[in-house]
Amino acid sequence: MNVGILSKRTTNLAGEIKKFYENKGFNVVIYTLENLSINENLFNNDFYILKSKNLFFLYAGFFLKANNIPVVPNPQVSFMQKNRIQSHFLLEKADLLTPRFYLGKSETLINQLDSEVFPLILKPIMGSGSKGVKVINSVQELKAEDKEILYLENFIKGLHYNVYFIDNRICTLIKPPLSNEHADMKKVNTPKDIEDLIKKWRLFLAESNLFGHLDIVREESSKDLYVVDPGSFPEFTNWKCSSSPVKEICNLILNQVEEMKNKLNNDIQHTRVNE
Amino acid sequence: MKKIGIIIDKYHLNYKVTDFLKYLKSIAKVKLYVDESYFLISSNHHFDEDLFFTKGKGDIILSLVKLIEEHTNIPVINSFKASCLAINRFLNSTYLRKAGIPVPDFSLNPKGVTPPFKDFIIKNIVDQGVYKFSPIIMEENGNKRVADKRALDEVDGKEHQYNYLYYQKFIKSKWEYKIYGIGEDVYFYKQLPVLINPNKTESREKIEEISDLKEYCLKAMEVMDIKITSLDFHKTQDGQFFLTDINCTPNFNYMKNGHKIVADYLLEQARN
Repeated sequence: MNVGILSKRTTNLAGEIKKFYENKGFNVVIYTLENLSINENLFNNDFYILKSKNLFFLYAGFFLKANNIPVVPNPQVSFMQKNRIQSHFLLEKADLLTPRFYLGKSETLINQLDSEVFPLILKPIMGSGSKGVKVINSVQELKAEDKEILYLENFIKGLHYNVYFIDNRICTLIKPPLSNEHADMKKVNTPKDIEDLIKKWRLFLAESNLFGHLDIVREESSKDLYVVDPGSFPEFTNWKCSSSPVKEICNLILNQVEEMKNKLNNDIQHTRVNE
Repeated sequence: MKKIGIIIDKYHLNYKVTDFLKYLKSIAKVKLYVDESYFLISSNHHFDEDLFFTKGKGDIILSLVKLIEEHTNIPVINSFKASCLAINRFLNSTYLRKAGIPVPDFSLNPKGVTPPFKDFIIKNIVDQGVYKFSPIIMEENGNKRVADKRALDEVDGKEHQYNYLYYQKFIKSKWEYKIYGIGEDVYFYKQLPVLINPNKTESREKIEEISDLKEYCLKAMEVMDIKITSLDFHKTQDGQFFLTDINCTPNFNYMKNGHKIVADYLLEQARN
């Protein structure tokens, strides 16, 4: 079997996944931004792993899926988790709480934002994790000459969790506010409401949700859980709930690829019968 | 009177819709939502329009359309899906080809890596901000190579965004076929390609219906959920048409009574 991995890096989790499949006798190529050209030449592989949500890997994922090459995780769902606006509506649709956001040119926001909505969090529209994320305490911190569109989110004050899931297993950690996945975190027992939230999210995304993570904040007065950042393929740097998650992830991917191929074959047969 | 919301950017508002707005205001109530000054709050879903029409493709416009679609039943022409696919040349090429519509070969390559075809045109991947097409034409070893300055600027210029270029196989064609789809109606024009004569209207002429192009146009509209569009086709020497461009904010002023056709269509949709 020939496997392609779409990843910014050849090391870390992508490297471990490559090694796992190579030990099974598969041929594995990691496509980075330096060697990825998106055209028919990619059809040489049997399936792809969309490790990174960089836009060009997402484009490759869309292209491959449209040409009936299995891609895991689902590129459309990964894209929606990468784009803050789409992920907001996705979380709402899943009936999960997520902070209100404000969008506009900086001049508009300066003129229209009420002072009582601060502090807000400035986030890049395309992005996940903590890169480019900044707390804005007052309208004076926004620059009128900034021509870019700004995305600002309500700052939810409370306890921050990083919650991983792989299939049915959930690993919950307390994290420093606005930190990324790699910060020092403390593992805790998963509270029942977080377990329910993860189940709801996984059920909503159905087969597109083999594994992933959610950044969640428990609001300090209401104790409500707000999802502030979903992720489709974390590095699992802080997975502290069993031995390495690599084997489990790789086997889940293989099972899903098998299911996708069976479905595709059934669809082709069905089309032939109808013709 | 039906109420129609127009979600528009300043460029289109200032230069492209004067006749359209004048006429539309005579048959419907009109409210403008202007991209550059719109303040979007995700919890504000209160709209009383019967229909929205988008004339622009910036991120605020797309976000507002998404919000309306997620939280109301008000139809939006063109939809979020239509606009997102139409502005992204790579994605629309992918999905249109999948649907059986002939599009030129295409490739998305890191800078410095040439595509697997000799004659090509480099286009901007996402056709969103700058509207002016500025071609740079080169002949290399007998091969035709054209680059849109906007695409090069996104990789090398002040507008640097990424290190990838979208290559489309260059299809030499005597005429560029300009097809407008408005609802279920299709309108046919041809003009000299912009690379031959940058003045689009000078050579433009109305032509008889071409059944292949009508079929491709309606199929593309169905696949992309696009209700108002213009499509560009090139025709090879052996008579094969290729769809080279699809637009979700067509300039309907180029059509005879275009502003009226579009406004009447919108009103009809608002009544349904």
